Amino acid sequence: MSFLPSSVALQGLTATESEFIYIVFFAGLFVFQFAFGTRIQVYFALNDIGRGLGKLKVMKEKSRKEAIDYLVNVGKAPNDPSQRVDQFLDYVTIMPVGIDPNGLVNKIDHVVTTNNDRVRAEVTALIGQNNPVTVSISENLLEVATALNMIHKIVRHYYILGKKTNSYFTLIQLQMLMPMIIQESDALLNAVDSFKVGQPVGDGIGPVSVSRLMIGKEKRVIAKDTVMAISEYKGRKLYVVKADGPMAYVGQPGIAIRNVIEEMGVKPSAIIMIDAALKLEGEKTGEIAEGVGAAIGGIGVEKFQIEDVATKNKVPLYAILVKQSILEAITVMRKEIAEASDKVVQTLQRVIEEKTKEGDDVIVAGIGNTLGVAQ
Amino acid sequence: MMSSVPSGDKKSKLLVYSVEECPVCGQKTKRAFAVGDYVTKDGAKCTKCGNQTRVALVYAEGTKPSG
Ligand SMILES: [Zn+2]
Repeated sequence: MSFLPSSVALQGLTATESEFIYIVFFAGLFVFQFAFGTRIQVYFALNDIGRGLGKLKVMKEKSRKEAIDYLVNVGKAPNDPSQRVDQFLDYVTIMPVGIDPNGLVNKIDHVVTTNNDRVRAEVTALIGQNNPVTVSISENLLEVATALNMIHKIVRHYYILGKKTNSYFTLIQLQMLMPMIIQESDALLNAVDSFKVGQPVGDGIGPVSVSRLMIGKEKRVIAKDTVMAISEYKGRKLYVVKADGPMAYVGQPGIAIRNVIEEMGVKPSAIIMIDAALKLEGEKTGEIAEGVGAAIGGIGVEKFQIEDVATKNKVPLYAILVKQSILEAITVMRKEIAEASDKVVQTLQRVIEEKTKEGDDVIVAGIGNTLGVAQ
Repeated sequence: MMSSVPSGDKKSKLLVYSVEECPVCGQKTKRAFAVGDYVTKDGAKCTKCGNQTRVALVYAEGTKPSG
């Protein structure tokens, strides 16, 4: 079934005739490829994206259903929440304008805080109870459903746009991104299973590690959803900060650290942050990395606040990171990650011994979602 | 051009456990996770010394996918 004229077929022709057929064949192939090559690729790309889009649709519907089921079964919502949930999924957060960047972070913080407060108020009203764990889990489930809804919408937008305009480059780019999009969406959907039952997620390794320093100590609220306890290690006073568990909170570690320094008047000689970090493919889950700088993800507000207060007060920032994939970070904590907590505490103690002296104050912050991790 | 969207990959089943640790003698007991468990929650009395144990870790372990 070869398209190439075989030497057998050319028997009986003179050398010039066979050469001529050869040239015509390849010239034809060239013209065909030139005229229809992209169309064929567009056809395959459309097929491919269409299939992916179907999967995304199933995922988004599943996450919506899971959220509604949770609100009804666990949250004991008095009325059918479906309609409210659908409105929720399309709710938009309009980010502040960035053309005058002065003070932008505070504006972003303001918008994000407003949104978070709104979400909590809405969820509390919807389920008609205020068990903080149930409310926080509902918030997270709705966030997952919103994210999947958004991903589906955007992919669908470019799919239809590419189809309408027959745009080769739009479709090929989308097709190339599709495996990553599906993978991340799959991770989000998987997160629902651990969230529903309140199991700690991989991202909770920071809170798990620092919670050990807080057991039995007096806790005080130092920022919204964030607690602080004072502990001691080899003559150093530790101000240990984490989100308030076992709710699915990430808290406000930026404001918490600022409050410890500016409002309590503590002069720390180091801020040590423990967080989960995305591993590169090929790196081992649960591996520990050390570094300097503010170890915190997210939109950047908290990171800015921590860097700002650390710079103003000339406090060195140290980071202890536990490597994991995006899937592992948002689904139930894997054994390798959980068991890294012992090593994290050892590393933390070593860093404290190396970087500070007896009598110093040290801030230790466990960053991440503290679902299923109290203190 | 080959299809690049990954088809539903086989997931190995994850089982979730809670590990209760005795703060006095350090004995660790691994049991299945129960809804409502969280890290630092009080567990059962230690079987060795009778002290109050605490949930030290909650984690998932993959079972080897059986044929
Ligand atoms: Zn014991």
